[in-house]
Amino acid sequence: MSRGVSDLTSARWDDDDALLTELRAALDVPAVPEHVVAAAKAAYTWRTIDEELAFAVLVYDSSLDDSALVRGEGPRTLLFEGDQLSVEIEVTEQSVIGQLIPPGPGRITLTNPAGPVAETDADEVGCFVLPRPGRGAVRLICRCGEDALCTPWLPL
Amino acid sequence: MLGTRTNTDLVEAAARGDQDGWDEIVQRYLPLVFSVIRRYRLSSKDAEDVSQTVWLRLVEHLDAIREPRALPMWIATTTRNEALRLVTAHRRTTPVDPLNTSALDAEVDSAALDEELLRAERQQAIRDGLAELSPRHRELLLLLVADPPLSYEEIGARLGMPVGSIGPTRARCLARLRGSSAVQVFLSAGRDMDVTGGERLDFSTVG
Repeated sequence: MSRGVSDLTSARWDDDDALLTELRAALDVPAVPEHVVAAAKAAYTWRTIDEELAFAVLVYDSSLDDSALVRGEGPRTLLFEGDQLSVEIEVTEQSVIGQLIPPGPGRITLTNPAGPVAETDADEVGCFVLPRPGRGAVRLICRCGEDALCTPWLPL
Repeated sequence: MLGTRTNTDLVEAAARGDQDGWDEIVQRYLPLVFSVIRRYRLSSKDAEDVSQTVWLRLVEHLDAIREPRALPMWIATTTRNEALRLVTAHRRTTPVDPLNTSALDAEVDSAALDEELLRAERQQAIRDGLAELSPRHRELLLLLVADPPLSYEEIGARLGMPVGSIGPTRARCLARLRGSSAVQVFLSAGRDMDVTGGERLDFSTVG
């Protein structure tokens, strides 16, 4: 790291000059643009999400898989697992191609923090294609029969 | 006023549905998010995406955070993971630069994150401690750390304080800052020991 980590150890708390130096550093916080602050505060509106949705866990992301990195290029694949329902997706330049597990028809919604951006049906074997979203965090909401699954937020 | 509510209060309030509690968590820890992001040299757009992902995730993790210390840890770890995800994704779509790769390996060092976290907590404690002081004491300390630096004459003139009393008042203000409940809570948590090789935080249990 180029920025030195100040090392205000216990003994140095008693040193006035060291404490003033630390205070100066403490007040030098990174400038965060106002719209980023506003977006972070607005994230809270998701606190009241539909309670019948089960949250899926991201169990595989090829972009974090070093062995995939060694093998070379390829579309990014991700696997989200829930208790009753799981979903695997592949992110290509244009699309998000996915399949529900277990396979079956369903309704898939792609949402960004502001609201739904795309929606489609999964066919009888659970396959679906959605347009790839623009930048920023999105999540998939998959409804299949009685089950409803919600993935964690993730930029794709 | 900032600094009067503990992390526990804020997390509980936000989990109960209190937007103000959430807003204060954001104000308090956005600097931490951005200081972690800064190490990955992301574009400002990518940095914003990471930040937004972290806050959206935290909304859903509020109920799982029971211990106040767990909040900054969760935030720092999630930020690191999301920043790393973007860096790795970019690496896959651009030719690999061996220099970049080694820099990346150094940056994922959890000891570095640990230091970042410790510094962020310490600085938060100091900011919260500052907020506990009387307005006059706070003002003096702010003038003492002003950039560019001010002379005692200038400080005395601004505060209407004799130059001769600035030194003793400075010592008193710093003693108050040291004795503030925010700083005392931080020190009593014993986290400062970590700097000199004490117990290491285990990030595998967080997030």
